[in-house]
Amino acid sequence: MAKQIVMNATGDTRHEFNPEDAAAVAEAAMRFKELTGTGFTAAVRRGAGASELVRHFDPAADETVFFPRLRGG
Amino acid sequence: MLFVCVLLQGFALVLGRARGLSRRGRAEEKALALLKHWLSPAQLAQYQDHRHFEVTGCHSGKRYRIRQTHQMNVDELDEQGLRTVAWCFGPEGALPIGDIMLAQKIALENDEQAALAVANRGNPHQISPRFG
Repeated sequence: MAKQIVMNATGDTRHEFNPEDAAAVAEAAMRFKELTGTGFTAAVRRGAGASELVRHFDPAADETVFFPRLRGG
Repeated sequence: MLFVCVLLQGFALVLGRARGLSRRGRAEEKALALLKHWLSPAQLAQYQDHRHFEVTGCHSGKRYRIRQTHQMNVDELDEQGLRTVAWCFGPEGALPIGDIMLAQKIALENDEQAALAVANRGNPHQISPRFG
C-alpha cells in the first residue's frame, strides 16, 4: 500500500491506497493536486534519510509527505 | 446545590484540559515517530543522543543543526561545528515539533535557497548556550 501523509495539528492524517487500483490512484492524484494547489509541499521518501520534492503526482512513490507552506518564524 | 454545581464545573474544566493535553501529547508522539522514520541512521543517532541532528544544504553544502525547540531552532554551522547564524522558519499552522523539524530537514536538503529566502535570520549569540 502507498501512503500519503498530510501534516496537521494532530501530527498528520494518513491516506493509504493500492497503487494497482486505478480508482484509488486517481483519488490519490486528485488529493495531491488539491494539496499542492493550496500551498502544501510534497516530498517523496527515497530510502533511508533521503527525500525528493515532487511537483507532480508519482503513482510509484511508496510514501509522500505533505507539509504546509514555509514562512519565517 | 450551588457548591455541587461549582464542583462539577471545575471537574469538567480539569477533565477538558487533561484531554487537550493528551491530544497534544499524542500529536507530538506521532510527529516524532514520523520524523525518526525519515531520518538517516546517522541523523537518528544524533537525534536520540542530543535531541538535534545535522543536515547538509543542497545548494551551498553548508551544515545546519536542527534542534528540538520552536524558536530559532536551525543553526548554520562553520567548519568547526560552531553556530554562525540562527535561522527561523517552518511550516504554517500549529504543527507538532516533530513535523516542523521534518519539514525543515526536507526543505534544507532539497531546496535550501527557497527555505532561507523565507527564513528570519537571528543573532547566534542571543540564543541560550545550552542549545549550542
